[in-house]
Amino acid sequence: MRKYLFIFKSELMSTLQYVFNIAAGFIGCFILLFIFLNLWQYIYSNPSEIINGYTMNQMIWYIIITEILWGISSGKKICVKISNDIKGGNIAYNLNKPYNYILYSLFSHLGSAFVKAIIYTILGMIVGFMFLGSFPNLNILSIIAVILTSVLSTIISALLVSFIGLFSFIIEDSTPFYWLYSKLILIVGTIFPIEYFPSIIQPILKLSPVYVVCYGPAKLFVDFSLNNFITVFISQIIYIGIGFGLCTLLYKKGVKNLNVNGG
Amino acid sequence: MSIIKVEKLSKTFKVKLKEKGLKGSLKSIFKPRYKTINAVKNISFEVEKGEIIAFIGPNGAGKSTTIKMLTGILYPNSGNIKVLDIDPKTERKKLAYQIGTVFGQKEQLWTHLTPYDNFKFFGAIYDIPESRVEKKIEEFKELFELEEFINTPVRNLSLGQRIRCEIVASLIHEPKVLFLDEPTIGLDPVVKENIRTLIKIMNKEYKTTIFLTSHDIGDIEKLCKRVIIINNGKIVLDDSMENLKYHYLNKKIVEAKMKEKVNLDDEDGITILKDKGYNLKIEVDITKKSVSDAIKLLNPDNIIDINISNTPLEDIISNIYKEEKK
Repeated sequence: MRKYLFIFKSELMSTLQYVFNIAAGFIGCFILLFIFLNLWQYIYSNPSEIINGYTMNQMIWYIIITEILWGISSGKKICVKISNDIKGGNIAYNLNKPYNYILYSLFSHLGSAFVKAIIYTILGMIVGFMFLGSFPNLNILSIIAVILTSVLSTIISALLVSFIGLFSFIIEDSTPFYWLYSKLILIVGTIFPIEYFPSIIQPILKLSPVYVVCYGPAKLFVDFSLNNFITVFISQIIYIGIGFGLCTLLYKKGVKNLNVNGG
Repeated sequence: MSIIKVEKLSKTFKVKLKEKGLKGSLKSIFKPRYKTINAVKNISFEVEKGEIIAFIGPNGAGKSTTIKMLTGILYPNSGNIKVLDIDPKTERKKLAYQIGTVFGQKEQLWTHLTPYDNFKFFGAIYDIPESRVEKKIEEFKELFELEEFINTPVRNLSLGQRIRCEIVASLIHEPKVLFLDEPTIGLDPVVKENIRTLIKIMNKEYKTTIFLTSHDIGDIEKLCKRVIIINNGKIVLDDSMENLKYHYLNKKIVEAKMKEKVNLDDEDGITILKDKGYNLKIEVDITKKSVSDAIKLLNPDNIIDINISNTPLEDIISNIYKEEKK
């Protein structure tokens, strides 16, 4: 485990060189939040009105949390890196190192996500407070639950995008799949909570990555319940198990047939 | 004691073929065609403990493929490999702790971190206790003169400094065998010399077996006592450097500065390489004519200055490559 903590630490140290770039990256997030704030203010004629189980404040905090989560865990960098490593043959040079490539990629991703998490959370909370003037009712348990499920959400997202990246073993370029995944998360989970979709689709969405990656932690932030936390937590653990298993399977199959360009 | 044992090793690659033009591109989508390339063909060799061995060949000869199979990166199609009695195919992870690799054209260091942080990282990767890593860093810092830049981010280092750090990073876990794939590529002569000294130190101080591939004849000449030449996937020569230099091509180069012009023609055992009237360069095949006979032809009284040298190793190796091609 020590080696993976070192990978996390090394990536963290590397990412610290780009703190201002990361902070600047929040501008895009801020613009999106500003648009949705105005949109929801228009939709909610009365701030105390409840639509699909959400007040206006809850709805806006939901979007802030999902935007922060997506900013932290989108994992485009890890997907592109794995895909390029496979296409360019660089993956070969990781094979004779005594670590697990999937865990290496995961901990490296967590290292950079950690820096982003701190910056995006601080800026997101400031923006939320500026717009709404208050925080949702939170206690120690709900804060711990939100942090824990957010960490697990980041791990799941990293595993899912790693799996997409590893698809380059089969098809030349797997980035179009990343595009599909990111749009699914953005539209279905980030902008609208699951309750906004027709009831016939909701059970499917609750089984999809949307539930464990963004909906789960954001829902706990705006409307915490222990039952909900347990359901989200168990679903996340199952997703991590399946995600890691699939990545390992695809990786093992891929490296067996590896051809390295240039010898 | 053999550290590396290779028996009847072969590796083939499947390469996608594409006919020319747009039609060819479309055709390859619906009806892809493949060609099989035999990169390594049935090669066998052994390497003894503490040897510095040159494994050389022209581009595409199969040397990097062989190194990648020896280090567990690629799986062979057939044949057996044992490195330190470990099979790289089935025990890649176990082998990783025992060997070090430096691929001159591939960076393994974290560019935003300093060499010190990188060495600590590699120490952790190889499960070396923190105190031992610190000790090793101190030792290498002095031995390889890293003091000046050990706390400078790798991205700000010169290529020579970076390669030096790459080699040190691959030594942190004290590997018994070090695979160096073109470690001096792109370096200036002074830095090349520096790296060669470093490799010699490693071999002498730590008894590390070195398996080296390089296109730089200087690397081979100055470091290795044994050379294996691979061409078209087959071993075409496995001999000591001494034999290669002095017996493989029994030719001497004689360069002479003359008082008067000499009219010399090619004859059995003598090839005129350059004739500029007063300056003459000839190649003498000593199996056919002795050097003293060649000098007699020039008339010793007529010679102002003379230099007799061996055929450059580069020429010898090029000739071996060319002969194989024929």
